[in-house]
Amino acid sequence: MSEQIQVALKEALERPNLVAFVVLFLCGFFVMTTNSNMIKKLIGIYLLQTSVLLLLVTIGVKQDASVPILIADHTESSETIVPADYYVNPLPHVLTLTAIVVQVATLGVSLALVAAIYRKYSSLDENEVLQRIE
Amino acid sequence: MRDHLPVILFLLPFATAICLPMVGLKAHRWCRPLALVSLLVMFGLAIVNLLLVREHGEQSYGLAGWLPGSDPTLGIEWVNDHLASAMLVAISFLASLCLLYSGSLTPTIGKHRVVPYYTLILLLISALTGIVFAGDIFNVFVFLEVAALSAYALVALAGGRALIAAFRYLILGTLGSTFYLLGVVFFYATTGTLNMAEMYQQFIASPELLHSRAIVGGMTFLFLGLGIKMALFPLHAWLPGAYTRAPDAISPLLAGLMTKVALYGCVRILFWGLAAGKLLEPVPALTLLGGLGMLAALAGSLLALAQQELKRMFAYGGISHIGLILIGVSQTNQTAFAGSMFYLMNDAIMQAGLFFIAGAAILHHGVRTVTDLPRLRQSPWLVAAFIALALSMIGIPPTGGFFGKWHIILGALEAENYLAITAIVVSTLLTMAYFQRLFLRIFGHSEVVPDSAEGSLALPVKLAVGLTAMLVVVLGLCSGPLIGFFRLTASAAGL
Repeated sequence: MSEQIQVALKEALERPNLVAFVVLFLCGFFVMTTNSNMIKKLIGIYLLQTSVLLLLVTIGVKQDASVPILIADHTESSETIVPADYYVNPLPHVLTLTAIVVQVATLGVSLALVAAIYRKYSSLDENEVLQRIE
Repeated sequence: MRDHLPVILFLLPFATAICLPMVGLKAHRWCRPLALVSLLVMFGLAIVNLLLVREHGEQSYGLAGWLPGSDPTLGIEWVNDHLASAMLVAISFLASLCLLYSGSLTPTIGKHRVVPYYTLILLLISALTGIVFAGDIFNVFVFLEVAALSAYALVALAGGRALIAAFRYLILGTLGSTFYLLGVVFFYATTGTLNMAEMYQQFIASPELLHSRAIVGGMTFLFLGLGIKMALFPLHAWLPGAYTRAPDAISPLLAGLMTKVALYGCVRILFWGLAAGKLLEPVPALTLLGGLGMLAALAGSLLALAQQELKRMFAYGGISHIGLILIGVSQTNQTAFAGSMFYLMNDAIMQAGLFFIAGAAILHHGVRTVTDLPRLRQSPWLVAAFIALALSMIGIPPTGGFFGKWHIILGALEAENYLAITAIVVSTLLTMAYFQRLFLRIFGHSEVVPDSAEGSLALPVKLAVGLTAMLVVVLGLCSGPLIGFFRLTASAAGL
């Protein structure tokens, strides 16, 4: 049994990015579900989204790789182009960038919504607002 | 021109949405005609697109000239096939109808909100167009978010209690799209592509890939996210509140389109991405979705029976219909697939029609709950349309609802899935029960004195209500060729 745990731990430590993702994701989920304060809920959901972005950007990591711009190799006499193996895959980064934009837009809309609720009911607590509506 | 039709269909509402705030700055009464014209032109183009696709077959469009087909696929692919073009006709038709209808209801929204109102509707429509066309799973995510953000803001436009409903919708919707994105990450990490067609090829070449832990996990998150978006039964919590509290002119649009398009995205990924029509490996996912569909069909109509508020009741009815469509999709045979796609179109129209009636009933007769219903007697127009739509909701012959359900049941018989048939029949009986409750209130004896209505129905309202009611009957009468058309989409899905 303990051997299995050791193997699982070893596997997990080989991929620290996955561990970080899971921890952040669960933290975000916990904050989002347990708080009745709307701003705290938003913080939770922001954390949740960021954890997914972290996962997305870390799967594109490659050690000692170059930026994905065609670079000429000057070491040889003829200017050959560095083979694609030396480049980082740019797609995860592009996706992350797009997802960040989406996240920012969501945050903007949600903060505007919370501001509108606060102006109307002068409270940020969801339960309190619901009581005031009754 | 023909080659660029998909992107024109998307850009038309999008460009108008960008222009509207500028126009609205000087003269906000120009907003409505402009938006309406843009959507009507879009409807015309969507019909042209449907005819062209029928004639020339499926078209694959590479955005900005980055044509797909290169290996590996560079650029963004849009798929313009039978299912997408039919869906687009439904979207643009309902959107123009909603805009027509909302004209007499805009005073309730307030003058300073007119510009954002029309801008957001157009943004929503262009995002839905994007989801329908998208050929890769990341684009579906982006457009889902754009559609959802417009929807949150549109729900919140009503102010007051709608703000809370919109906030809940936002929290759950964002959670859903985050789950979806997580699924996309898993799929990308495993297959190295986002393009559905390429994914399809990989899964066909090595079906055992579908058993890998990453793909199974990715599927779970993907469908969990889409399940929240389409308000699949245990994940439906945001829907009744949002649809009930949204402005009366907005609920038909959201009820008719939002959940249906999410369901369309789910079908698209299942059959065009995961090859559910060809391989046996995705079957567990389909079985699970079908099981949840049965649960949704039963629970949705049961909860509808318990509601007092009209709009809330119709919202739960919509939840049960999402379940019905999923049952049809999960049978993996042509008949059920064609039936459920036909039912999807029908349901979009029925839901929009019911919310049209609910909105008009609130505005003209002050009918919000079941007890107020006798006041509706003053308006034979509304009651007649309501009867037609109710017949279709229950599924009684000359209406489209019947033929959709009928083919789903035939498909389930073909698949020998008797549990699904039982679920459909029981859900139909429950639907009948809650509509009977409504009609008993309308026609039965009551103490509620019908007071005078606030003005007669405006022509656009009459038109919107009458057209939807007529259309469910017309769809039923033309069900033969339409089912034949959707059978084509089923064979395109590999069934």
